[in-house]
Amino acid sequence: MTSKADQRKALAEGLDRLNENMATLAELSELAIRKAVDGLVRLDAAVADEVFMLDQEIYALQVEIEKTCVDLLALHAPVARDLRMITTSLKITTDFDRIGRYAKDISEITLQFRGGETHFKKLVSIPRMADLTIEMVDSAINAFLERDDVSAAKLPETDDSVDSLHDQVFREIVTYMMDSSVTIEAGAQYILVSRYLERIADHAVNIGERVVYMVTGERPPRIRAADRAKDKAP
Amino acid sequence: MTVPPPTVSEDILDPAVESRGLSVWYGRKQAIRRVDLKMARHDVTAIIGPSGCGKSTYLRSINRMNDTILGCRMEGELRVDGEDVYGPGVDPVLLRRKVGLIFQKPNPFPKSVYKNLAFGVQLHYRASPSDLDGVVEAALRQANLWDEVKDRLDDSALGLSGGQQQRLCIARALAIEPEVLLMDEPCSALDPVATAKIEDLIFELKKEMTIVIVTHNMQQAARVADYTAFMYLGRLVEFDRTRDLFEKPHEELTENYITGRFG
Repeated sequence: MTSKADQRKALAEGLDRLNENMATLAELSELAIRKAVDGLVRLDAAVADEVFMLDQEIYALQVEIEKTCVDLLALHAPVARDLRMITTSLKITTDFDRIGRYAKDISEITLQFRGGETHFKKLVSIPRMADLTIEMVDSAINAFLERDDVSAAKLPETDDSVDSLHDQVFREIVTYMMDSSVTIEAGAQYILVSRYLERIADHAVNIGERVVYMVTGERPPRIRAADRAKDKAP
Repeated sequence: MTVPPPTVSEDILDPAVESRGLSVWYGRKQAIRRVDLKMARHDVTAIIGPSGCGKSTYLRSINRMNDTILGCRMEGELRVDGEDVYGPGVDPVLLRRKVGLIFQKPNPFPKSVYKNLAFGVQLHYRASPSDLDGVVEAALRQANLWDEVKDRLDDSALGLSGGQQQRLCIARALAIEPEVLLMDEPCSALDPVATAKIEDLIFELKKEMTIVIVTHNMQQAARVADYTAFMYLGRLVEFDRTRDLFEKPHEELTENYITGRFG
C-alpha cells in the first residue's frame, strides 16, 4: 500500500515531468515558426522539410502530454493549483499543436514558391510580423513557465500590432495583384502566410489567457481591440 | 493581479445554522477560536482540516453534544433557525430532535432493526403502534435501506453490514424528522460501495434538510458539499463554495492543505 506522502511524491514528480514536457513543446513550436519563416524568406526547401519533421515531433509530444495529464487526473484527483496547471496544459497543448500546423502550412507555401524563383520583392512586413509573433509565443511560454500572469495579460496589446500588420500586408498584396506586380496565385499565398502568422499570434493570446487562469484561478474577459485602443487614448 | 477574498457568507441570507465568534475550550485548551460561519439551508456544508483543527468540536457544539464533556465551555453565539442554542431555557433533548448527529462508527442499539428506529420515535413523539410501523418504514425507505432489511426487521441490528448499520443510524435520526443533520466522518469506517450509498443518500436528503459533514476525505467533500469550510488550529481559515475552494482557494494555507503540501 502506498502512503499519502508517496502519493504526493508521485503527483509532484508527474507535475515536474509535465512542466518539462510543456517547456519542450513550447520550444519546438517556437523553433517551427522561426524555421518556417526563415525557409520562406530564403525559399529554402531543406528548411521546409525540417519544419515538417518538427510538426511530427510536436504532435507526438502533444499526445504524450495529454496522456500524462489524463493519468494525473485519474490517479491523483488533483485540486487547486495542481488541477489548474494540468487543465491549462491540456488546453494549451492544442494551441501549440495549431502553431506547429501553421508553421507547416507556411513551409508548404515555401515549397510551392520553389524552382529558382525569387520573391517578387524583398519581404519586409511578413518578417516583421513573424518577429512580433515569435516574440508573443516566446512571451506566452515564459509566462507559463514563470507563472507570470501579468506578462500573460499584456499579450493582447502586441496582438493588436500583429493584426494591424496583417491588414497592411493584405492591402499591400492586393494592390500588387491589381497592378500585376505579382500573380494572383502568388499574391494569395503571401496573404495566406500573413493570415497564418496572425492566427499564431491569436494562439499566443489564448495561451496567455490560460496562464492568467492557471496563476489566479480567474478567467480574464476578452476585450475587443477597439475598446482597448479607446482605453489607451488620452 | 490580486483576486479579492471570497464573500460567499454574505450571500447566505437565511442560514439554518450560524455561529458568531464561537470559541470552545476543553479545560485550558482552546479548541475553537472565534469562528463565524453560516450553513446555507437545504445545502451540504463540509468542514475539512487536519486532525485536531476543531472541526468535530465545532460540529458537536451545534447540537450541544459537548455539554457532557467535563471542563468544556464556550463563548460566542450559535444559532439554529435563528434561535440561540445556548440560550436560557433551551432543552438540549429537544434541540437534538431538531439537529441529528451521525457518528464516525455506526452505533446502533444492540436491539432489533425495528426497535432501533421505534425507540427514538416513541421517546420523542409517543407514537401509537399502528403509526409506528409507518414511521419506521418511511425512515428506512428515506435512508435507502428498506429493501435490504424489510424481511429482517426483528433481527439484531448488529448483524447488519457496516454500511447498513450506518444507514440504519441515519434512518434512526431521520425518524424523528430533524431539520439539520450533522455527520462526523460518516464514511471513514466504510468501504467504497457503502460510502457511495451514503453519499447518494446525502444528495437525496439535502432536499429536505440542512447537512453539515465533517470529513477527512477531501474528494468526498468535493463530491457531496455545496460549501466547504477549512479549519486550522481552531480557526476558520477559508469558507467558500466547494467548487471555488477546490479550484482556486484564496488562502495559501488552504491551498497547501488541499493539495497535500502540508506539514
